[in-house]
Amino acid sequence: MSLRYRLLIVLLVVAITTTLTATGLTYYWARHEIDELLDYQLRQQALALRDKAYLLGSVTVAEPDPEQHVVIQLWDRRGALRYLSHRAVDIARPVRYGYANVRGSGKDWRVYATELGPWIVQLAQPLQIRRSIAAKAAWRILLPTLAVLPLLAALMWWIVGRVLAPLTRLSKTIARRRSNALDPLPDSGLPAELALMVRALNALIARLKDVLNRQQDFMADAAHELRTPLTAISLQAQLLDRAGPGAEAGEALGDLKRGIARSTQLVEGLLTLARLDAVNERAQPATVDLSALVATAMAEAQALARTRRIALAGRIEAVVVVEGDAPQLRSLVDNLLYNALHYTPLGGQVWVELAPRRREICLSVRDNGPGIPGAERARIFDRFYRVPGTAAQGSGLGLAIVRRVAELQGASVEVSDAPGGGTLFTVLFSIDPGLAPAAGNAPGAASVQE
Amino acid sequence: MRILLVEDDPMVGAAIRKGLQQDGHTLDWVREAMAAGAALASGTHELMLLDLGLPGKSGLDLLAELRRAGNALPVIICTARDAVAERVRGLDLGADDYLIKPFAFDELGARMRAVMRRRLGQPTNLLRHGSLTLDPASHEVCLNGTSVALSAREFAILQALMERPSAVLSRAQIEERLYGWDEEVASNAVEVHVHNLRRKLGDGLIRTVRGLGYSLGRDS
Repeated sequence: MSLRYRLLIVLLVVAITTTLTATGLTYYWARHEIDELLDYQLRQQALALRDKAYLLGSVTVAEPDPEQHVVIQLWDRRGALRYLSHRAVDIARPVRYGYANVRGSGKDWRVYATELGPWIVQLAQPLQIRRSIAAKAAWRILLPTLAVLPLLAALMWWIVGRVLAPLTRLSKTIARRRSNALDPLPDSGLPAELALMVRALNALIARLKDVLNRQQDFMADAAHELRTPLTAISLQAQLLDRAGPGAEAGEALGDLKRGIARSTQLVEGLLTLARLDAVNERAQPATVDLSALVATAMAEAQALARTRRIALAGRIEAVVVVEGDAPQLRSLVDNLLYNALHYTPLGGQVWVELAPRRREICLSVRDNGPGIPGAERARIFDRFYRVPGTAAQGSGLGLAIVRRVAELQGASVEVSDAPGGGTLFTVLFSIDPGLAPAAGNAPGAASVQE
Repeated sequence: MRILLVEDDPMVGAAIRKGLQQDGHTLDWVREAMAAGAALASGTHELMLLDLGLPGKSGLDLLAELRRAGNALPVIICTARDAVAERVRGLDLGADDYLIKPFAFDELGARMRAVMRRRLGQPTNLLRHGSLTLDPASHEVCLNGTSVALSAREFAILQALMERPSAVLSRAQIEERLYGWDEEVASNAVEVHVHNLRRKLGDGLIRTVRGLGYSLGRDS
C-alpha cells in the first residue's frame, strides 16, 4: 500500500477518534451543566409553589398536561397525598427534603422536596429530558465534524501528496537515469529524511562507480595485454610472408613461435584467473602433501632454470601436509618459481624452503635478483602490473594468480628483501592441528640440490 | 624517411623496425617516453610512431609536451587501446593518426604516406619533377615512363629532394635521414649515392650547391 494511502487512513482514524472523544466529553459536560441548571429550576419552581398554597384545597388528581413534564405532588403532614399533577405517575413520598434521584412508574426521576406550609411538596422531572438535551448538544458537535470529514479527507490527501512530492520527484529522477549514469543524485533542497537517503544512495553509487571503473581499467588492460602479443605475431607473420624461404625466414619463424608462446601463456593465465575468480570459497579440501608437490614443481622447473643458467635448489621438509586444493597449490608454486626464474638475471640463484613452524607452514622462494623497490611491492600482485624497467616478458598475471590462490587457500603471501639482496616471497599456511606433524627438523628432511 | 619508434614491447618493436627498414625507412627505436624526449630534441626525425602504454611517463603525456613545445612533428599513435575516448584524446592532443594494434605493415605504410602527403599539401602520393616520377607507395621511380631501379638509400635521397623541390639539403641532413643511430656512415657515402643517382637518371637532375649541399636541378 502506498505511503499516501497509509497516511490518509491513519490520519482519518485519528480525526474520527478525536471527534468521538470530543463528542463524549461534550455529552458528559453538557449533562453536568444541565443538571445544575435544571436542578436550580426545579428548586425555584418548588419554592414558587409556596406562594400559591392558597390554591390548594382537597385532594386533587389532575389530568396531565402533555406539555408539562414536571410532576407536582403534595402531601399533608400525616402523609396523605393531597395533590398529584400527573394522574398515572406514582412516585414515592420523599424521605427527606432536597434533591434526589428516584425511580417510579418505570422511569428515572430527579426530584426536589420541600416544606410548603402544612404540606410537603415534591417536584419530579424525568431524567430522560436531561439526557436528550445533553445528547443534542453532543450531536451538534459531532454532526458538523462528520459533515466535513470528506473535505478533511480530501485536504489530507492533498497535503500528504504535497509532503511526499520530493519523494515522487526523486523517484522520477532515478527512473529517468540511464543505466550507466553513475554521477551522484542531487541532494540539495531535499527534506532532511530524504537527503539522508539520497546521501546513502550516493555513497552506494560511488562504490559502484569505483568497482565499474576498476572493471573498465581491467578490460582496457586486458585488451592491451592480449593485443600486444597478437600484434607481435601478426607483424612477424607479415615479415615471414615477405621474406620467403631462407635464413631470414627461419629467424622470423622463431620470433613467430615465441610470440605465439607468449599469447598462449597470457591466455592460460587469464583462464586460470577467471577460473579462480569463479571459485568463491575453498574448493573441496583434501590433504595435500605439499613437500611432494613443491619437489615435483621444482624438478619440472629445472629445465627453465638450466636455460637461464640459474641454480634452483632448496630445502624441503618431508611430508608437510596442508588442507587444500592440489591443482591450485601447484599453480601457486609454479608461478612463484616462474617469477623467480624470470626476474633473476642469468647465472643467478633461486632458493626454495618449505618448513612447518609452530602454528603455520612456511613456503619461501628467495632469489638474488635485483629485488623489488618498496614502492612497487604493493602493486606487484595486481593483474598486468610489471615493475617498470623489467626486461622479462611475463604475462603480468603470475603473482596475481599466486595471491588469488593464497586467498582461496586461507594463506598469506608477503614479499620482502632477501637477506643479502634479491627478493623473498613467503607464503604462510595456517596449520590444521589434526594434521600437524611434529615441529622441528623431521628426520626425513631432504635437501633438493641441482 | 627517418622515423622515431616509441614502443616498450621488445617483440613488437623489433618487428616494426625490421618491417619498416625493409620498406627503406631509417628507424630509431626507444622504449620509453624519457628517451623519446631526448631523441626528439635532436630534431632529425620526420615522423614518430607512438605507443601509449609505456612504462613511466605515458605516450599521451609525451605527445602533449611535444605539442606544447610547439613541435609539429607528424605523430601516428600505434596502440592496443581502442576505446573511442582514448582515440579522441590522442587525436585532440595532436596526433595525426591513430592505428589500433594489431595492424598490417601495408596499412601502417599507407597511413604514414597519407600523413606526410597531408603535411606537404600534396593531393597524391606521386612526386613529380619534370619527366621524373617517384611513387613512395610502390617504391617505383620512372624517367620518361620507364622504370628505373634504385637502391633503398638512393630512393630515400631522391624522395627527400623531391619532397621539397626548391630546398637545398646539406650532406649532414641527408645522412641524418638515411642512417639510424647505430649505423656506421662512411664519410663519402652520400656522394657515392648521389653519383649513382646522376648516373642512372642523368647529370642534370641533382645540382651541387657549393658549401651548402644538394638540390634538384632545373626541370630536365
